Amino acid sequence: MKKNKALSIIALSLALIFAGCVQSKPSGEQKAEFNLGKDITVIARDAASGTRGAFHEIMGILVKEKDAEADKLVVGALEFDGTDKVITAVEGDKYGIGYISMGSVSDRIKAVSVNGIEPDVENVRSGNYSVSRPFILVTKGSESELIKDFLKFAESTQGQDITDEMKFIGASDLSEDYASSGMSGTIKVAGSTSVTPLMEKLQEAYRDLNPDVTFEMQSNGSSQGIKAALEGSYDIGMSSRELKEEEASQLNSYILAIDGIAVIVNKENPKSDLASEDITKIYTGEITKWSEIK
Amino acid sequence: MQRTKQTGINEKIMQTIFFLSALISVAAVIAICLFLFVKGMPAIAEIGFMDFIFNEKWTPTNTPASYGILSMIVGSIYVTGGAIIIGVPIGLMCAIFLAEFCPGKIYMIVKPAVNLLGGIPSIIYGFFGMEVIVPIVRENMGGNGYSIMSASIILGIMILPTIISISESSVRAVPESYAEGSYGIGATKEETVFRVIVPAAKSGILTSIILGIGRAAGETMAVVMVAGNAVMPVDKINLLKPIRTLTANIVTEMSYASGLHESALISTGVVLFVFIIILNISLSLMKSKAQRN
Amino acid sequence: MYTNINNLKQRKVKSILLKSFIWFCGILTVGILIYILLFILLRGIPKINLEFLFGEYNSETLSAFSSIVATIQMILLSLTVSVPIGVFCAIYLAEYAKRGNRAVKVIRLAIDTLAGIPSIVYGLFGMIFFVNILGFRASVLSGICTISIMILPVIISSSEEAIKSVPDTYREGSLGLGATRLRTVFRIVLPTATPGILAGIILAIGRIVGETAALIFTGGTNVLKNPTFNLLSSQRTLAIHMYMLAGEGLPHSRDMAFATGAILILIVFSVNYAATKLAGRIGRLR
Repeated sequence: MKKNKALSIIALSLALIFAGCVQSKPSGEQKAEFNLGKDITVIARDAASGTRGAFHEIMGILVKEKDAEADKLVVGALEFDGTDKVITAVEGDKYGIGYISMGSVSDRIKAVSVNGIEPDVENVRSGNYSVSRPFILVTKGSESELIKDFLKFAESTQGQDITDEMKFIGASDLSEDYASSGMSGTIKVAGSTSVTPLMEKLQEAYRDLNPDVTFEMQSNGSSQGIKAALEGSYDIGMSSRELKEEEASQLNSYILAIDGIAVIVNKENPKSDLASEDITKIYTGEITKWSEIK
Repeated sequence: MQRTKQTGINEKIMQTIFFLSALISVAAVIAICLFLFVKGMPAIAEIGFMDFIFNEKWTPTNTPASYGILSMIVGSIYVTGGAIIIGVPIGLMCAIFLAEFCPGKIYMIVKPAVNLLGGIPSIIYGFFGMEVIVPIVRENMGGNGYSIMSASIILGIMILPTIISISESSVRAVPESYAEGSYGIGATKEETVFRVIVPAAKSGILTSIILGIGRAAGETMAVVMVAGNAVMPVDKINLLKPIRTLTANIVTEMSYASGLHESALISTGVVLFVFIIILNISLSLMKSKAQRN
Repeated sequence: MYTNINNLKQRKVKSILLKSFIWFCGILTVGILIYILLFILLRGIPKINLEFLFGEYNSETLSAFSSIVATIQMILLSLTVSVPIGVFCAIYLAEYAKRGNRAVKVIRLAIDTLAGIPSIVYGLFGMIFFVNILGFRASVLSGICTISIMILPVIISSSEEAIKSVPDTYREGSLGLGATRLRTVFRIVLPTATPGILAGIILAIGRIVGETAALIFTGGTNVLKNPTFNLLSSQRTLAIHMYMLAGEGLPHSRDMAFATGAILILIVFSVNYAATKLAGRIGRLR
């Protein structure tokens, strides 16, 4: 009996020590040198993502030849279906590179400048920072009074103030104030996960002014939002990429804001600037190691 | 107590109701089969069965699109196999521990612990995997952590409760006489366990392994957060490189798929479904063979 | 042969090594559980506050209130559907079915199949049938329908086991007094088997609470500001809330994901505890 007790105490303490060791190891390892000869871990968004659609098209990863369209993302690139997952992956992997909405950049990772231009609101507004895409709201056919009212709100000065607060660039031509007329009803919205945070804030503010309105929102990717609007299953679709011709011809579109896409790397990565051709080469697999970048 | 005609009729009515309730399960299975096949057929018809299963190129958003799930099939196989390699030895040993070596007081701690492990939701495993296992694999084994290895580790942990509980019952069910016979000729406890008891519990242990395979192959959320979801050409598949399984493919792309793409994903579900049916059939065949012995 | 001293030493060493490895595996399993629990609880519990539990959902609070209510709705309503069907099915299998009957074999095969179907496949079926064909759209209702089918095998097998473990003497006594089969079932067998049936229900609750893949396409990922009783609206459950928070880019999403995880674990804890207590009651019956 005593032997068993002793044995189990020893085994238990060993297990706890093991657990403790293993948990502290990840944080300890961070102090090691950044080895430029290591492979780059390429991180992308999932195929539903408007951010991906926009980024891949702007950077030339999506290649169009006549009728054919092919995404040349390098084999073995990680694909994640959420902004935070991309941030977590880059935060944890010294050699990672990823792309996220500029509004989501935090101090967990580092956003590099592209071709020497810093990724900030001013540069996106002026057009210097070229990696940007529009946040578009789409509807189909004639809209109800409620939807028209909400869209007016989004484009009003109050709406644009919210947009600015969230580090997006307001794109509305309207510079009117919005006045509430006590609307009621339900608005169903679906689409881009990147637009969702902005949409949520707009919805909250709109509801403060029109308490009888409810929203229903699914965040399942730009393509799904556009599809939902086309099918009529949702009132408003959110997209974080340009519409394709077939889509644009059937839908009314409103540019809500311009959002920059930030290219992010781990905080320990010595690089703070990347040339856009190099970024393209990294994502298509032509460049595989950090040392290959001049 | 008087039996009236009414009582007899009531009996018959309730008996029918009970029987119908039982048939609902059958109806459910048939419905699931039916609707999955019907919705998935268009894809198989247009893509072609051979091309769907054996083509490793999955590019639904290109023009022209390609819908081959070979990479995902191999991915699921690798990840499930890895889970078995990690989960079965530990699980089996733990089951033996619980059945043969564990003192009563410790049993009261370990057995509920195993049950609790089995009740933890899969997104928690996924989250844990993403935050803890992936960095561990990255620091200690190389690659970027989102890999077959990480998925196998997490799945291995997830199937432990299945393996442990069923194997433990089987080991306990082995008659005392077997063990007594072995001690009688001078074997130690460990020799008795491994040379006599465990082989006798073989069929139950095998059952637990097959159920574990089913669980690992069908797991979605944990794998999606840990395996990186990259569609790899079959010849580049590597333990420390990312992978996409059949389940992850469905969940990642279904939200925006339409038309042929959606159909193809449903067919992926059909492939999974068929695989589980095959597993189930092997299980029943094994059980009837054991009964015959 | 076995009296050879060297051989004996070798066997003893092997035995000790095996024994340590066996103990190690036992401890390892418990250690893994403790690690996972501590990992989530230590970072999650501090983040739980009243706003998160009962407040309105907005991008500041990321409140789980509407998700918790939706989860409860899903549990209660799918049990309402599955428990009667499942228990009746178990009664049929345990009390009325003749051995070797073709129908019984088919039924058992169906139940085993249902038990093995991966949750993502249930999700696909739910999407095809309830969301699209029956037109319920992504809603709590679609989720409930899908979950009801999913937990059926769990209810059936634990109820059947509970019913089977009622001693035959009870039945014989009742029949001996002249009661009909039906009366015996409802007055004697079921009440006695109740702890076991309850244990099965509780296990089913645990399964529902943790379910994600089956509900993403049926219940949807939408989150309402306040809980609703309109079953046709789309509202995510607690587990999906955690999944969504784990993927969003807001600064405190990750913290709240831990908080949601902590709540999930506490629920699973209580569920398991209750089930163990009840299962103990069946044990005493044997």
